[in-house]
Amino acid sequence: MGKIFIFDHAKCNGCRNCQIACKDEHVDNDWSPYAKPQPDTGQFWTRINETVCGQVPKVKVSYTLETCMHCDNAPCIAAAPDAVYKREDGLVIIDPEKSKGKAEIVDSCPYGAIFWNEELDIPQKCSGCAHLVDAGEVPHCVDVCPHEAIRFGDEEDFADEILASTLLYPEREDDKPRVYYLNLPKRFLAGVVVDPEADEVIIGAKVTAENVDTNEVFVQKTDDFGDFWFTQVEKSNWRVYVESEGYLTRVIEASTVEEDRNVGPVFLYKSDLAQ
Amino acid sequence: MAQDVKGTPIVKGLGFNSFGIGTNACTVDIDKENDKILRIRPFHFDEHQTPEELNAWKLEARGSTFEPGFKTLISPLSLCYKKRVYSKNRIPYPLKRVDWDPNGDRNPQNRGTSGYERISWDEAAELVAAEIKRVHDLYGPASILCELDGHGETKFVHAPHGCQSRMFDLIGRYTLQTRQPDSWEGWYWGAKHIWGMDPLGQNSLQNNVIQDIARNGDAVLFWGCDVETTPLGWGGYLASRICFWFTELGIKQIHISPDVNYTNAVHGDYWIPVKPNTDAALQLAIAYTWIIEGTYDQEYLDTHAIGFENFKYYVLGGEDGIPKTPKWAEAICGVPSYVIKAFARYWAKHAVSIAHCNGGSFIRSCYAHEPARLEVALLGMQAVGKPGANQFKFIEWTLYGMDTVTPLPPSSEIPNCSPAYRGWFRSFPESFIPKTMIPQAIMNPPVTWYGHIGAGFPREDQFEGPYTFPLEGNERLHMIWSDTPCWETCWNGGNEMQEALRHESIEFIIVQHPWMENDCFFADVILPTNTKFETEDIGTDSDNGQWNVVYFEQQAIQPRLDSKSDMEAVGEVAKKLEKYGGIYENLYKRYMGGKTCEEYIEAGFLNTGAAEKMSFEEFKERQYYAFPTKENWEELPVGLSQFYNDPERYPLSTPSGKLEYYSTSLAEQFPDDKERGPIPKWIDEGAGHQERQYLARGRKYPFLLVSNHPRWRVHANLDDVTWFREMEEYVKVTGPDGYKYEPVWVHPQDAGMLGLETGDIVKIYNERGAVMGGVRVTERIRPGVVYQDHGSRVDSAVLGRGGLDRGGANNLIAPTPTTSEHAHGEVTSGFLVNVEKVDVFKLAEEYPEAFNRKYDPDCGLVADARIVKGE
Repeated sequence: MGKIFIFDHAKCNGCRNCQIACKDEHVDNDWSPYAKPQPDTGQFWTRINETVCGQVPKVKVSYTLETCMHCDNAPCIAAAPDAVYKREDGLVIIDPEKSKGKAEIVDSCPYGAIFWNEELDIPQKCSGCAHLVDAGEVPHCVDVCPHEAIRFGDEEDFADEILASTLLYPEREDDKPRVYYLNLPKRFLAGVVVDPEADEVIIGAKVTAENVDTNEVFVQKTDDFGDFWFTQVEKSNWRVYVESEGYLTRVIEASTVEEDRNVGPVFLYKSDLAQ
Repeated sequence: MAQDVKGTPIVKGLGFNSFGIGTNACTVDIDKENDKILRIRPFHFDEHQTPEELNAWKLEARGSTFEPGFKTLISPLSLCYKKRVYSKNRIPYPLKRVDWDPNGDRNPQNRGTSGYERISWDEAAELVAAEIKRVHDLYGPASILCELDGHGETKFVHAPHGCQSRMFDLIGRYTLQTRQPDSWEGWYWGAKHIWGMDPLGQNSLQNNVIQDIARNGDAVLFWGCDVETTPLGWGGYLASRICFWFTELGIKQIHISPDVNYTNAVHGDYWIPVKPNTDAALQLAIAYTWIIEGTYDQEYLDTHAIGFENFKYYVLGGEDGIPKTPKWAEAICGVPSYVIKAFARYWAKHAVSIAHCNGGSFIRSCYAHEPARLEVALLGMQAVGKPGANQFKFIEWTLYGMDTVTPLPPSSEIPNCSPAYRGWFRSFPESFIPKTMIPQAIMNPPVTWYGHIGAGFPREDQFEGPYTFPLEGNERLHMIWSDTPCWETCWNGGNEMQEALRHESIEFIIVQHPWMENDCFFADVILPTNTKFETEDIGTDSDNGQWNVVYFEQQAIQPRLDSKSDMEAVGEVAKKLEKYGGIYENLYKRYMGGKTCEEYIEAGFLNTGAAEKMSFEEFKERQYYAFPTKENWEELPVGLSQFYNDPERYPLSTPSGKLEYYSTSLAEQFPDDKERGPIPKWIDEGAGHQERQYLARGRKYPFLLVSNHPRWRVHANLDDVTWFREMEEYVKVTGPDGYKYEPVWVHPQDAGMLGLETGDIVKIYNERGAVMGGVRVTERIRPGVVYQDHGSRVDSAVLGRGGLDRGGANNLIAPTPTTSEHAHGEVTSGFLVNVEKVDVFKLAEEYPEAFNRKYDPDCGLVADARIVKGE
């Protein structure tokens, strides 16, 4: 048991309050013995990464929190057990005194969450604002989040969220990271169905997306704008069948392996020109 | 850890409202012993007041409840503020331009390139006083222009704008650069003529609209509206939280804009990528579709509107032979006609509201009055005021002290601390100049125009005049005193302003400002003022949407460097003027108005309802009082519902009291105006503007530029924040020369044609000049359009028309002419440019002085780069 962080992707508006609050708290402030001052620039103990998804006019932006995972099996502790320790409440702390000169601690972190401070000759990272936690407060990044996209607290109070969560890096499960992610985005596959001769979108067209790799099939009807949006689908290759009564069915090949996909307008043509 | 990690909490309003109105209440933890700011964090309403005392509001709809929470929802633009206080760009001490000699050669032609030397406050104040006396004697007081508007910090006693006007009011007045209705351009100049709605032209009747949409609405249109960006200088993230709630309720959020703005990025359900400033064509095609298909509310128009038949005649092509079909619009606005029709039909079948945050190409381009009027025309065709169908704003929820402009439950009082305010007080001297016409007024007087062009004036004022500068018998301008040195990077045609500031007629320019930037480089004397962390003051925050609050602002730290507050800086000059006797006698005391700073703070407090709840001493101790939610707020009429239900009893403020699809006043007042006629229309081009891609100039400059309210600045504020600038690509793009360039978004298709990749450095240019930028190839902008925020600090290599700016301050190359013939707004987005890759090393060889100036990539421009004689 102990403290954990929850990041809910669906609640993040990308404001960077968490990232700037970390600077506000740690640049020019010495919170020894938990953390020496963070350099003004170049280190991101807490950061929001931004990814632009899709193609005009089906475009979204995805924001994801990157920070120290406060792992229970922390690779940094394994790399330097004398200099890095886990508090009883689960926060992982790099001791600023004992870690002096130990650059290997930076390399030990698979999450890129540890930074080297040239001037002080020490590795540095998120301390979970342990100085504030000791004073009964939450970390500064948590306090300033306008949407409670980042939450912090006792593991037992977040049992439901932990159950629903995924890891940012599933392959690092053995590290037992203590930052849990909700609603991490997968890919989307979208488009619009159009009758180019009538110059109209087709509402209610049946769109079937077949995952070529798994043979999984999803079906949707196009909406009031002639749009279809398959959200939270896998990185995969797709065969998209577009059907509407009185029109020739079309099949489109598409891929979401590299990025989210707007297949663009799918033009359907009348099946019986005499009609 | 011996230290106290929590520190001592004080309150500061970190918004940019500037005219004796505050916003963005934050708690600031300070370390008194070490004269240090520890951290900035949300302000808590419930520290001394219970939810019952606050009469805490909540909204309920579709089984869901929305509560505002008891702490302010602050943004990074407040959180970053330590970096502003300790910026390397802070002006360290009073400065004089080295080659400005008041008794010899003044070298106005060198402004913008000269170095500066340190002088004392005493010397600086003496120089300024002597210049005022000289200009008064030689030319008269109206030859002094005061630039005193804009978006400085929210301060009351130490007001950032207009302290000098307080002094000039006592010694023969001055010429005022008007506080334009900027950001409301099209609404002010256009929408007022179809639905009144003084003072701004946007819906002034917004009460309970959010709850109404939550219960009855199907969709909200965000027409260029960016909730995640524009409110941040004046509010916080309550607006963002409402968008999340709408999503939860299943209310469709439709974005109509050339870019995927920061709101569309997160909350958008459908995006219509329209080309900049072509919204009027799209709107006309929607009207056409509704008329042809009979899907508008003719019965409503019969009782609520006049002149619809004239409008219909124009839309169907009767007037000009051009039916405004979706196909016609597609060629102009770039939206496929099948999308326009589907969208028009969706709108006709659903309860749809329109949201705004001002700003964007939609409302601050040439002829912006037309899309603004057309928006109201469309709202009227679908019976605006019916359940779920209104226009509302995510910003400025108590503007002008009006309690009808908030769509959320209002507080019981909008606190007014005006007795504490020492800046410009919206007094209008006889001699004034629209801000958009300053360069012409300096270089080619006389200039003439209609109306006071001041934010807040009623519709009829637009017909008053013509006014002229200079007034009969007066001299032209010879001196400028600015506490707003950002004209170049915030207004229309900055390169021309650079020429004006170097004009031989201007003998003296004084600037007071905390940071060395933009127009500061044209000053002959610079007075370093300080930030609000360095003074004690009073503040209010009535724009958070939660509860209005008045607070005492303790001094956080001692004044930094050799700075004084804006009020004190002007006071130094007042003291020096006294020796000239006569009108200048006893000036300092008169300027101070007989009170100490603390007495002004107390006077401000006593003017609010908080004084009925506690003594001034208690106020200082508790540091705030929040005003509870208005009793029975649920009963306030929803938006325009009264007009909807009974237009005769609740008329609009138009001459007829109805929606005027044909504006009788415009027809009477400006019968020959082809750009803003009685009916809202599509305007191709005119004498002032040729900004269409499909006409001749578009061949030479084939891209339209979108320049929004910036995401990481508030206009020209905050460009030096190191914590923003280090976000490579999002905030700045580092060139191969290590300089951080202002990002330019280019669509991959255009990037392919132009041979551009992310990280390339380009110039954006037209015949007015060129500004540089760092390319970010992205799907967030539609093809044929490039995007660069406005407000980056000017860093000119070549000054004046045809100039070159390294900073990416694209207002420099915006059109100089105003909105249209009789509408004097700024045109600063949606204009034509070309884009070309540049070799920065070659440019450095060509312009060694500009490219080798002292520069710190983290902070950008630094204050001492131009100081040639320091300590």
